[in-house]
Amino acid sequence: MPDITLADEARYLHRHFFGGPPPPEVVERYAQACGRVLGEEGEHSGPLLRKVVGLGLDPEAVEIALRLRGNRTLTRKIQTLFYLVEVRAEYLPFFFNQRPGLARGLWAVLAATAAGTRTLVRGLLLVRRHGLA
Amino acid sequence: MHDAIVVGSGPAGTFVAYGLQGRDVLVLDVGRLPPPACGLAGNLYDLRRSSPDLFAQLIGQDFAGLRNLAGSKVSLKLKAPCTEYVIRGWERLFPVRASGFEPMQSFARGGLANAWGAGVFRFNDRDLRDFPLAAADLDPFYDEITAHIGVSGASDDLDPWFGPGQGLMAPLALSCLGRELLAGYQRRRELFRSRGIAVGHPRLAVLTREHRGRAPYAYDAMEFFKPRNPAIYNPAFTLEELMAAGAVRYLGGRQALAFRETPDGVEVTARNLETGDTETHAARSLFLAAGALGSARLALASAGDHSTRLPILDNPMSCIPLFRPGLVGRALDPREPTLGQLCVVFDPGGGADLVQGTIYGTNGPLRTDAIFEFPLPIRASLAWAKHLSPAMGLLMLFHPGVRDAENHVRLAPDGALDIRCRPVRPGGAEGPLIRAFCRIGFFSHPALCVRPGLGQGLHYAGLLPMAEHPGPYQTDADGLLHGAQRVYVTDGACFPALPAKNLTFTIMANALRIARKARETL
Repeated sequence: MPDITLADEARYLHRHFFGGPPPPEVVERYAQACGRVLGEEGEHSGPLLRKVVGLGLDPEAVEIALRLRGNRTLTRKIQTLFYLVEVRAEYLPFFFNQRPGLARGLWAVLAATAAGTRTLVRGLLLVRRHGLA
Repeated sequence: MHDAIVVGSGPAGTFVAYGLQGRDVLVLDVGRLPPPACGLAGNLYDLRRSSPDLFAQLIGQDFAGLRNLAGSKVSLKLKAPCTEYVIRGWERLFPVRASGFEPMQSFARGGLANAWGAGVFRFNDRDLRDFPLAAADLDPFYDEITAHIGVSGASDDLDPWFGPGQGLMAPLALSCLGRELLAGYQRRRELFRSRGIAVGHPRLAVLTREHRGRAPYAYDAMEFFKPRNPAIYNPAFTLEELMAAGAVRYLGGRQALAFRETPDGVEVTARNLETGDTETHAARSLFLAAGALGSARLALASAGDHSTRLPILDNPMSCIPLFRPGLVGRALDPREPTLGQLCVVFDPGGGADLVQGTIYGTNGPLRTDAIFEFPLPIRASLAWAKHLSPAMGLLMLFHPGVRDAENHVRLAPDGALDIRCRPVRPGGAEGPLIRAFCRIGFFSHPALCVRPGLGQGLHYAGLLPMAEHPGPYQTDADGLLHGAQRVYVTDGACFPALPAKNLTFTIMANALRIARKARETL
């Protein structure tokens, strides 16, 4: 398993949820937050994130599968990243509806919920296959 | 020797000081203050669009905005960089060991009212039935405080519970969701009223026009990030007026530790938090206004009592999400108020307790605060937050405080406060309310209700209760502590019962009443 740093985590998670590399200050703040808020020491990832990032696993799928079991280790990491990007103007479209419309909104919710069901199933399989629980 | 020492600067302490004007009053207070500059101006959402990076203002260089990721959770209003001062360091100054109760304390100037919802509701005779007081005893003080602080609201179907609407400013503008809900209620008023449900505008200590030099509410959505909005009343405003006028002497950075009555007064021992030194301050009378837990702790510590159990009350809460399908996909309204939109009273009669709630929108906090609470994968949660949030309101219900002989507070020998409570599961109101709101197109389900733990209501009361014939650790109808000649309890600790209404307005009125009465004899 390759050695994974907190910066690697930030870049991997960001690419999955938002596409492309994160701004450098987001990477820097992510590493600082992991130390100060989540109590992590040093710049290297813990065992769960090493597996998720090192094996190229779907972090969203793994996260929901673990969260529903009461394990919020990955949840806290992703949530940290989300806090750091939400306060930046270029990310507002990810968090706020830019194109109002009842039909569009209902379709977006239904589509995301259906996709989410598949994500959950994928996550349960990944957790089991890789012994992540 | 001063005429009076007031311990604390929250709603009670401020209005004791206000009521004692003309006397030599010393306010002892820890008195944390907000940072000198917040870096936030204008409307929050306009700012979020125009400023590339608001990390410092919304999260903070010390990551205050992330504190709920680890450790005990705090209110979303209390974790922003410019608002965390309200509760900073409270655990260190006030050690508590709690089971079945989630306490919170503030050592800020103005107390927890630095981050309150500003609901101001008069207690009527029914609310006061367990008090040695009547509404007529408090009404003149409610009137005086209304004129002083500015209250907005309306005379409507809630008048029987909130009192007549004279002296009120116009209510805050409603959001789209609020307007649709009120219109739906008005169309089906008969149905709602037949089920014991009334809906109307809240009474809020929020200005809708200029008042005594304070500007009206600007609909800037800053309540979760920026303190000391001049439109939202803060007891610190009154206290600082008194300080500027030379009407009180204020000593901040002091934590009161104990008091002792002397032949001609009271001595208060306090710690100077900057130097660590212990100081003694003397006055003819002492007014405890340190918050219910703080005042109780002082009473026990002053008696060296580590065995007596004091009762404790808090309003159990339940939160009901209400969903209006027709509003799905609506764009964010940056000027939608984040304060209470509408109030709901559930008073079914037949001896059942009254339950009161306030409906809020979802625009206030960061979206990241909410999306990880949905039982969905993150991108689905994000879609729900984007498209469903505009269609959602939150009905926050307060239930009456429950007296349980097992719920108590004791001062441990090491100085910590031990709080033991049994879990409370309020019930009976959610079902009828959900069914009624479904009839006007606002949907929910009891399974979606969230019931925060006892203590999160932040309406602590009952520890040193008023009584007709007070015994140890009780007070008379004028707040005088049993066994004391010159020590008054003026905050929620002296409330013998806790109806479902926010108690802050009544704390203010009662504190003013106690001070005015005591002033005659100082």
